[in-house]
Order: sequence, then C-alpha cells, then structure tokens
Amino acid sequence: MMIYPCDPVFFISLALMAICALWAVMATDLLKSAIALALTSVCLSLTMFLLSSPLAAVFELSVCAGLITVIFISAISMIKPEGNDRKEDLVFRKNRRLKKYLPLPFLLVVVGIMLRMIQIDMPALPVADALPVSLSEVMWDERRVDLAGQAIIILVGVFGVVVLFKEYMKQKECEK
Amino acid sequence: MNMMLLAIVLPIAAAIVVALVAFRKSALAGYFAVIASIANLYLAYQIYMTEASTSPVVPLEWAGWVFEFALRNYQFSSFILIATAMFGFLLSLYNTAFLKDKCNGWLFHVYFLLTLGFVNGAVLADNLLLLLFFWEGLLALMFGMIYLGGTQNSFRTATKTMIIGGVADLCMMFGIGLTVYLAETASMSEIKVAMEGLGSLAFVLLVIGAVAKAGSMPFHTWIPDAASDAPLPFMSFFPGALEKLLGIYLLTRISLDFFELNAASWGSTMLMIIGACTIVLAVAMALIQKDYKKLLSYHAISQVGYMVLGIGTCTPVGIVGGLFHMINNTLYKCCLFLTGGAIERQAGTTNLKKIGGLGYKMPITFLTFIIAAASISGFPFLTNGFFSKEMVYDGALQRGYIFWFAAVIGSVMTAASFLKLGHAAYLDKRGDVSNVKEAPMLMLLPGVVLAALCLVFGIGNFFTGFLPIGEFFQPVLGAERLGGHDFTVFHANWFLIGGSIVALLLAIINHFAGYKKTGSGIGAVDHVHYAPVLHQMYDAAEKRYFDPYEWARCVGRAVAYIGWGIDRGIDFFYNRIVTFAANGISAAIRAMHNGSHVTYLAWSIAGILLVIIACMTGRL
Amino acid sequence: MITFFIALPLLVVLILNLLPRKQADALSFWCGMALTVVSGIYVLMAPRPMTSDFDPVNLVLNWKIVTSDLTAVMLISIALVVFSAFWVGRYLLEDENRQFIFNNLLLLCMVGMNGVVFSQDLFTLYVFLEIVGASSFILIALERTKAGLEGAFKYILLSFVATVLILSSVAMLFMVCGSLDYEAVRICLTSGTLDENTSRFVLFAVGLFAAGLLIKGGMVPFHGWLPDAYSSAPTPVSVLLGGIVTKAAGIFTLIQLVRNVFVFEGVSPVLLVIGTVSIAVGAFAAMGQSNFKRLLAYSSISQIGYIIVGLGSGHIIGIVGAILHLFNHSVFKTLLFVNAAAVEKQSGTVEMDKLGGLSNKMPVTGFASVLGFLSAAGIPPLSGFWSKVLIVVGLWKAGAPMAAIIAILLSLITLAYFLSVQRKVFFGKLASGLEGVKEADFRVLVPTILLVLITLVIGLTFPWLFDTFLVPLESFL
Repeated sequence: MMIYPCDPVFFISLALMAICALWAVMATDLLKSAIALALTSVCLSLTMFLLSSPLAAVFELSVCAGLITVIFISAISMIKPEGNDRKEDLVFRKNRRLKKYLPLPFLLVVVGIMLRMIQIDMPALPVADALPVSLSEVMWDERRVDLAGQAIIILVGVFGVVVLFKEYMKQKECEK
Repeated sequence: MNMMLLAIVLPIAAAIVVALVAFRKSALAGYFAVIASIANLYLAYQIYMTEASTSPVVPLEWAGWVFEFALRNYQFSSFILIATAMFGFLLSLYNTAFLKDKCNGWLFHVYFLLTLGFVNGAVLADNLLLLLFFWEGLLALMFGMIYLGGTQNSFRTATKTMIIGGVADLCMMFGIGLTVYLAETASMSEIKVAMEGLGSLAFVLLVIGAVAKAGSMPFHTWIPDAASDAPLPFMSFFPGALEKLLGIYLLTRISLDFFELNAASWGSTMLMIIGACTIVLAVAMALIQKDYKKLLSYHAISQVGYMVLGIGTCTPVGIVGGLFHMINNTLYKCCLFLTGGAIERQAGTTNLKKIGGLGYKMPITFLTFIIAAASISGFPFLTNGFFSKEMVYDGALQRGYIFWFAAVIGSVMTAASFLKLGHAAYLDKRGDVSNVKEAPMLMLLPGVVLAALCLVFGIGNFFTGFLPIGEFFQPVLGAERLGGHDFTVFHANWFLIGGSIVALLLAIINHFAGYKKTGSGIGAVDHVHYAPVLHQMYDAAEKRYFDPYEWARCVGRAVAYIGWGIDRGIDFFYNRIVTFAANGISAAIRAMHNGSHVTYLAWSIAGILLVIIACMTGRL
Repeated sequence: MITFFIALPLLVVLILNLLPRKQADALSFWCGMALTVVSGIYVLMAPRPMTSDFDPVNLVLNWKIVTSDLTAVMLISIALVVFSAFWVGRYLLEDENRQFIFNNLLLLCMVGMNGVVFSQDLFTLYVFLEIVGASSFILIALERTKAGLEGAFKYILLSFVATVLILSSVAMLFMVCGSLDYEAVRICLTSGTLDENTSRFVLFAVGLFAAGLLIKGGMVPFHGWLPDAYSSAPTPVSVLLGGIVTKAAGIFTLIQLVRNVFVFEGVSPVLLVIGTVSIAVGAFAAMGQSNFKRLLAYSSISQIGYIIVGLGSGHIIGIVGAILHLFNHSVFKTLLFVNAAAVEKQSGTVEMDKLGGLSNKMPVTGFASVLGFLSAAGIPPLSGFWSKVLIVVGLWKAGAPMAAIIAILLSLITLAYFLSVQRKVFFGKLASGLEGVKEADFRVLVPTILLVLITLVIGLTFPWLFDTFLVPLESFL
C-alpha cells in the first residue's frame, strides 16, 4: 500500500483524528473525553500506518492509546463523581460548550485549506522504497534502544496498575 | 616587599593594630602612633634616597584595564612624601600630649595613621584611578577626624566638609574619566593631553579637584568652621600642612605634566585669578577675626592663593616660588596652629576676647609664634616666607601689575592681622591668665622644630644659597622649562623688595594707628572692620551670605520641596495605580485559569496554530 | 560507561522488585540515594567528553551516544533533583508500600530523563519522553486523591496532544530526510537541497515538534496542566516535577533541537514572545495565589520563560545564560519545593492564609527559602542573578532590547510575590495553631543544606565558573 501525502485517504484519517480530538474537548464526562482521546490516538496510528511508518504506529498505539490512557480511564471511572448533577444541567452545559467550541472545527478546516495551498512535491517516499528490510530487522538492528524504552514504558504501566488498582482493591477489602 | 608598597601598608597596618590593641587607651595609642610615624619617616627617607624611577612599578595587577596598582617614585612625590612624614612625626608627638585625656583620642590616632598611609598612597600612585581612591579615602578620614571634635556643630561641619570635598572630588572624578578617555591611559607618567575641546574641560575639572583639596576659594568655607569644631591637631595637620602639599602636588602634576600649561593659555590666567582672589578675600576675612584658630584658618586659605598664583604664572620663577611657598607655608602654618593648640589646652579657650598677656606665661610658645608670624608676614631677609613670596611676586609681576598688586595687598593684610593677633593674645592685658602655665614639652617640641626650620630655610637661603629649591623644586620643572634660570641663589630685585618692605611698614603703621584709637591690640584693625562699606560686607560674610555651600543648601531646600511634591505623585502612582494594575492583571489571569481541561486544551490548540503559522513564515 | 546512567537504575528497579518485599522497602531508598550520588560524582569527575566506548551495556543496546557539556549539566541537575526527591519522599510518604513504589517510579523517571538527555535520534527521544511522561502521570496520581487524579489527567491530556504533535512531526521529518538521527536530520535540513515547498513542509513539521515540546515544558499558552499537576501531586513529586521533569522533557530538548538539529540562527520571535508572555503570565498569576505549591508552580512557568527567552535571543551569551538558568532553576525551585514539603509536614498545610511566622520555629527552612527566593528573583550575588544577567545581556546584544526590558521589569514582580510569600509564611506573627511547630528533621535538611550551598557557591564563585565552566559550553553550541 503506497499512500501519498496528498491522497484523500490521508485526509480522511486526518479528519477523523480532528473529529475525535474535538469530541475529547467537548465531552462533559471525563471518561468520555478520555475515550475520545484514545480514539484520537488510534486515528493517529492509522495515519502513520498509511504513511508507511508501521513502527511509529505501533509505538503510538501502545504508548498513548493503549497503556496509560486505558489505565487512567479505569482509575477515573472508579472515582465517584462529586455531587449529583441533574440531567438538565448536563444538557445545558453541553449546549453551552458546543456553542463555545463550534468555531474550532471551522478554524481547523480553514487552517487545513491554508496548509493545502502549499504544494508539497514529495519524491514518493524514497525511504519506503529503500526499505527492503523487514520490520523485525529494523526493530532488532536499528531500534534496540527504542525497544528497550518501550519495555520500560510497559514497566511503568505495571507500576501504574499497582498504584491505581491494587491499592484500591485493598482499600475496598478493608472497607468491607 | 616593595618599599613604596610598604610605605602605604605600614601605617594602615599600624592603624589596625592600634584599633585592636590600644583600644580606648589614648596614651598607649599615642606612643604607638609615634613609633609608627618614626617608621614611616624612615621609610620615606629610604624612598627619598633611592633613585627616582622614570617608569611606574606595579606591585599588584588589579582589575585590569586601566585600573592597576601602579606606584612610582617621582622625585616630587618623594619630596612630598618625606615632608608629610616629617609633619606626621612631629604631630604624632604633639597628639600624644594633646589627646592624652580626650575621650575617643585613640580613634583620632587610628585616623591619623590611616591618613599617613593614604597620603603616601596618593602621592606615590602612578595611576589616576588609584590616586582617586586614596583621595576619596582621605576625604572620608577628614569626615571622621572633624567629627571627633566633639562640639555641638562637629557633625554639621564634618558633613559640610564631606559635601564640599565630595562635590570637588566628583568634578575630579569626571575630569579623570575625561583625561583617561582622551589620553587613553590612566598612567600618570604617560598622560599628555592637549588643552583644547574636551581637554580644557578635563583640565578645569581636575584643577577643581586639586585646588579644592588645597583649600582655595571657592571651596574653602568648611575650613573656618572646622577651626572651631574640629580637634586642633586636625587643623594643623590637614589645612595646615597636608592639604597644601597634596593639592599643590596634584596641581603641579596637572599643569606641568598632564597638560603642559603655558603662559599664553587661558588656563594660566584662570589659575592666577583664582589665586589672586583667594589671597585678597580670605585675608580680608582673616583680618577681622576675633578667634585665634579661626583667624589662622583664613590665613590657611589665603596662603594657598600665593601658591596657585605662583604656579598659574607659568613662569619658571613663579612656579618654583609657588612650590617653595608651599613648603614654607606648611612649616609656619603648622607651627602657628600648634601654638593655637597649646593656648587652647593651657588657657581653655582661643577666643581673643578672653585671653591676653599669654606671652609672659608661655614664653617658648610666644617665641615660636613670633618666628612663624614673621615668616608668614614675609619679614625681609631672615624668614623663609619672604623669599618664596618674592619669587611669587616676581612671577606675578611678569604677567601683570594687577596680580602683583593683589599679592602685595595680601601681604599688607597678613602682616596687619598677625600684628593684631600677637598683640592681642600675647601682650594685651586682658582676661584672667594667672593660672596659665607653659605647655608640656611634647607639645612645644614640634613647634620649636618647625620655627627653627623656618629660620634655617630663610637665613640659610640668604647667606648660603643652600636650600630646598635646587634639591627639590627645580627638578620638578626640568631643565627645559627652567630655561637656564637657577634660583638656588637669591636674586635681589630691589623694586620687589622695596614693595614688600613698604607693605610691611604700611601694616605696622596701620596697627599702631588702630592701637592708638582703641587702646588694645585686639581692636587694632577695627577701623577697617567698621569702615562704611566694608562693615556691611563683613557682616554679610560673617552671616555666611557669601558661602557657596549655603547657597547650594538654599537651592537644595527648594529642590527638595519641589521633589517632595513630585515624590508624592510618584508615590501615589506606585502605591495606588501600579499596585492596582498589577493586582488587576493578576486577578484576571487567575480568573482565566478556571481549572477546566477544556479551556487549557483550547489555549494549547491556539498556541499550536500560532507556533506553526509563525514557523511556516520561516522563523521559529 | 555512559549507558550505565540508563542501565543501572533499571537494574536496581528490577532487582528491588525481585527481592522479598521487606528488604526491598528498606533498600529502595538507599539504592536510589547511592545511584544519584554516584552518578552526580561521576559526571563531575569524568573526563570530558564522556564517551560510550568500552561500554558493556552497549554491546547489547548498540547505542550511539554523543555527550557534551550541556549533557553534563543536565545529568548533574537530574541527579541533584532526584536526590532531593528521594529524601523528601522518605520524609513525607508515610506508607511504606507507597514509598517503595515512589522510589521505583522515581528511578524509572530518572532513566527516562537520562535517556532524553542522551538520545541522538528523534524517535528515541520520543520514546524516552514517553517514559518520563508516563512515570510522571502515575507519580502525580500516587496518592489517589481526587485532585491528584485530576491533575494527572490534565497532564495526560495535554501530553497526549504533545505526543501527537511530536510523533506527526517525526513522521514528516522521516519522510523528508529518510533518517531520524540528529546528525542526519541536521545535514538534510541545512544542506540547502530542499525545494521551497518541501522546506515549508519541513518548517511545518518543525513547528509541530516545537509546539509539542513547549507543551511538555509547560509554557504559556500550553501551561494549563502545570499548576494543577504541581499543586495536586504529593510534594515529593512536586519536587521532581518542578525541579527537573519539565525542563528535561521540554526545555532541554528544545534547546538541543533548536540549536543542533533544526539549526535556527539569530533571534527567534516566536520563542521571544512565548518566553516573555510566560514570564508575565506566570509572575502575575503567582502574585495572587494562596497555595504555596501552586504559587511555586506559576513561578516555575515564569522562570522557565526566562530560559526560553534566553534561547530565543539566539545570541551565544543568551543561550549560555539560558543553560545556566536551567541549572539554577533546578536548584532553587527544588529548594523551594523542599521547603514547601517541610512546611507541609510540620504545620500540616500549604495554604498561606493559615501560615505565618514560621521562620522562628523553622530557622533553617526559613533561611533556605529566603535564599531560594532571592536567587529566583535575581538578587546578587546569588546564582539566579548571574544567569538572568547573562540572559538580559544576550537579549540586548541580539537586538531585542524590548524583551530585555520586559525581562528586567518582570523580575520585580517576581520579587514582589516572593516577598509576599515570605511575609505570609515565614515572617510576621506566628499564626494561631502553629505554636507547636518544630524544625523539620534531617531527612529534609540534607537536601536543603546541599541546595543552599550550591546556590551560594555558584553565586559567589561565578566569575571563576564563567571561565571554566560556561565558556566551554560554547563548544556545544
């Protein structure tokens, strides 16, 4: 699959990303906002994949969309929201927020068009052509440090789980 | 260690030792100061005996650029050095006796020793900035010494001194800055500046610094005040000796070395006018004083006029005469102040209205007074003052009758005022002096030595052509400037000598006329004092209407009043408007941070757009 | 030996977690301590430049490392701040289990920061940035309070945006240059072979990258997360965050990339504007704060603004000043957060309205905070003064006098709010309820005294440092 930067597919993925990002901004619920964030990350990974950077895509997915965000979403979901907001209030706030941030998509589109004006004539991704090596070779020969770093991030994630869940469970047990 | 550096460090170290060891013990501090000043004298002698160096010695590399610790044994420097060391030694003896029972006397000794170190530094410095450093240090020491006078007005007078000296030194600082800028060096042995444009400004500013230190008009007004408020050793040391030596030393360096003043330039005329005015006006004030020390202090001002006039003439005879007069003046003026001190200590006051007939009780003091007074009045052929004045007259006459005339008028009044002083203090029958005894040995000794030196310089010059002139002063000018003249032997110019004798006779006639009229020595010049127009002028002068310091204070008060108004406004601006604005901005910014992640995200996105758009234009 | 900076902390973490829990609890602190001390001393003693030759770890990792004096500055700062954070953590975190996790995460964060400092490849940089970020998120939420989670969430949210930007930018640069190695990217961007459109594309990518780093560094207007994260985090974590994290992740990287990879010469208006606005907003916002930690957070924004402004001047003196200020800020901001920790523990609150007159009860802390504040406000002869002077001189010489004037004027505001803190917390009348307060114990005095000494020594020996330490920094530039 060979995608050029100016290809519509590329823009669709970008647009998806923008929409998800907007959702993240506008969601009243913290949880929904976080999920939107994760989705944005997924879209970005997709874009990268389209740009024939599978490696970057994998990393992005694991780091942002995957681990940390999910951990936090779960952690936040466990915390009871303070006060009981009524439904009408929520709707009202949503409407107000919508009004507030409606200009944003337009702005994004305008900027996108402006950026589009710039003609970029990439030499059809020479790097991709010059990459006969397989993913594993890239991983093991050139990117060992990055792999190690990835391992460390996962280690950090483990600690995150310990901090945010294990203790919580203990606490609950105690309460019982 | 370098000898010159030692000469600076030793007295200062001694001062520190005195401050630490002889703390609050005046007598012990005094003995220590004597030992230190003997050592200082020895060092000065050693430096004097070594060959004068042509290039500076740099014992310490300092901040770099033009400010280096450069010392140079210039032959004139070494003369001033040995002269101050001698005065230092004599006065340290005197101080020991004078300050014996005074509280804070030890502190005076500390200041005294510090002064010796700083003077050595100022004289040996070959770097203008280094010179300025020592110069300012001396000003600070003067403040401290006057303050030790302990009278009601001491602090006020000390402040006045500090301000007048400070203003003059500020001028000098600018002058030094300009000179260094123009000459592109701060090394005094290399500076050569032409008298044009900025150069003349630099000259004027430097001259202000030098003549103010010497105590010439219009920077003189603190001296009479100090006479009544400062301790007497200070008067004899600073206005009596040191100030003249230092001020004239610098004036000589400026006019001979840095700027190479010649008779045709306006600078020469300027100096002569300053000199002539100082002579006449100050001596006119001296004439009417009714206080021993105050009268002497006006003479201390007046005599500077002769030196400035002499150097200002730019003729070889004038310059040599001016320099000769400098050393002569320090000898007799110091001696005169010492007699004043003796009287103050023995009789308890120096107010002429309360003392009289002291000559019978204090014969040795009276004798030294007579010799010194004769010297300052220029008693012909026997006293040193006569010879140096003759030379100054000679120089002045070459430049114009008016200057010569001013100098002679000055002589008349000088002689008249000393006749009055001697008559009033030593011979008049007034006041209760029955309990007064002769001063102690230690206080008499310096006076006797100085009076003897006056005679030696005078008679010696007349009979043998010995004298410091050839040894000390002619090398300062150099052979080229001397132009073949040799002043080691006195050349009698009978016109001038006649003029001087006539002047003396006039003074004597005036004195006896006045004495006849009022019946006492103290009133001998009252007919001048209370003459129609002069009377009002004298009154005004006594009320300090002619004191530039008082004028400045008036202006200062007006400025302060206006400033106060402005200050209120600014205060309001800062206290109200600025605080209000700052708090307002702060509150607004805090209100914007509402804690919502949405707001923060929106800001970030706006920021990203900004950065990207700016970046796309080619600059980050 | 240089990869040990990464490998050793990692190894320690692994071993600690394999050991039985009881021993590990006690060991974790001392291991971390030893590590920071050893790494600090090693950086000071090691011959320059430090190399990765003869490096057993590198047989496996195969990592090209180029070090410079700037690297050394960063390594020392990191060791110093992590050292202080260890002590404060031991002092403040009472739960042993939590302390153990804190120590582990601290070591991992240190790994991340060291990696950021060493990395010579844009993608490696990104990976290590994520390590720093991830460990900071969890550290902020360590106490599992609502505020902590919220602060962490905001940080994640904006970090996420930064990640997206950086990763996009990395992809674009990879597309253009074909490699992500710093050297290769630099050669690609500066060789002049790019046509106009492509170079604009590159600029777009660079802008994205810079924006991402500015978010990580918490500059205005990307700073929203910073005050919340700093003030809601447990104080030992605030020490770490305020002391070094934003600087290692955002500012150091920005300096490195702007100077060495993207190679911008001359004044950069964007950085100047962002820097001055940060200085202003941070200072003004700090003025009205009532929470000690929150005030310090805003002041961080303001102080880091100075670094950015110095970098933006593009003048050698300004950049040297920026690097020195980076180090100084690590020192005095860590010091102030350590003081905040002492106040928090001894008096039970960091709300300034409830505090007052503590300097009689806590003389060392009071003195240290005065020193820290004065250094921050740029009062001679403390270290902060010299770096600010260098920055201002750099700005002036670079032809940005307005920025220089603003920088000077706003340091007055800095002084104003610091004085108000001093008055509210340490001076004045002792607030009611604080009669029983005592000076903090040695666990917090050790870092306090060390940092005070550094502030003083750097300030007083600056002329010497300038010749021996800062001028050689030029070699990096």
